[in-house]
Amino acid sequence: MHIGSGFLSPPVWGTMAAASGAALAASLAIAGRRLDERKVPLMGVMGAFVFAAQMVNFPVLAGTSGHLGGGFLLGVLLGAPLGIIVMASILVVQSLVFQDGGIEALGANIFVMGVIPCLLGAAVRRLWMRPKTRLLGDVVTFVGGTVAVLAGATVVILLLAWSESLPGTVTLAHALGVMDAVHLVIGIVEGLVSVAVIRFVLAARREAAFGAASLGVGEGVR
Amino acid sequence: MTAYNRNTLIVGLAAALAIGAIVSYFASAHPDGLEKTQEDLGAAEPVHAGLDAPPVAFDEYSLKWLGEGFWANAAAGVAGSLLVMGLLLGLGCLLRPKRPDTAANGPSPGLS
Repeated sequence: MHIGSGFLSPPVWGTMAAASGAALAASLAIAGRRLDERKVPLMGVMGAFVFAAQMVNFPVLAGTSGHLGGGFLLGVLLGAPLGIIVMASILVVQSLVFQDGGIEALGANIFVMGVIPCLLGAAVRRLWMRPKTRLLGDVVTFVGGTVAVLAGATVVILLLAWSESLPGTVTLAHALGVMDAVHLVIGIVEGLVSVAVIRFVLAARREAAFGAASLGVGEGVR
Repeated sequence: MTAYNRNTLIVGLAAALAIGAIVSYFASAHPDGLEKTQEDLGAAEPVHAGLDAPPVAFDEYSLKWLGEGFWANAAAGVAGSLLVMGLLLGLGCLLRPKRPDTAANGPSPGLS
């Protein structure tokens, strides 16, 4: 879902760069004040994982592919500030080194694939910090991951329309319909993968991701 | 770094590298959801002046010297994953709150 080079007008990419820049600055400030040291390796590894996972395009509908966004997952596992920092790092590397996403569109791409899904993921995070909410956590995470992709896709179309990068003959409703139909399918995969990865981290490294309280120690141990 | 942290790093990094280097080779080559939407809407051509990407050793997700095949893609997957992880571990070290007993280059509190 990376917006390429030449699709956003200067006022649009300028606005989005300012918005994402502010979100990133706030994230760094919050992380600088209260960073749990155990989260640093998780951050690095999750960054590498999401970068790699984004390279795996899976077939969606005829002639179309999709790939994981990962921002929602990072929001759940790391919280919004660290999630935004990780997604921004990935998107910077993708645009500067691999020509994936326009340089001037970097702010917009960080907003769409970082800020929005990380905030949504962070809203769901609380559910996983308690020892016993597994089914509810699964369902809400699946729906949240899907919604996060749809929200990002919708904003991309709005930005393209605002930039006058859609032909005059195309109505906004039609453009949103085409974009969101494809991204509903991609979003469902995003939701499923998010649940699977969170379950895996839960089994392997629960304390590092969700804190000691989520272990429920004292209930099982007598 | 504790053994606990080191294991997290090793297992996670191995998974990331396997996905980036091997699984990604079998990825679908079709345009992604946004590209396909832009094509369908007749909006696939850029209409604004964009900024050029800096000259680098990678042509999208292929290392230029290795052409287009498996190894070019694997090199991109490995390099990108390590670059992102390195960037984040570096940032994490910078952001880590300074503890008095490890602040080696700051003035010692007792000697001011």
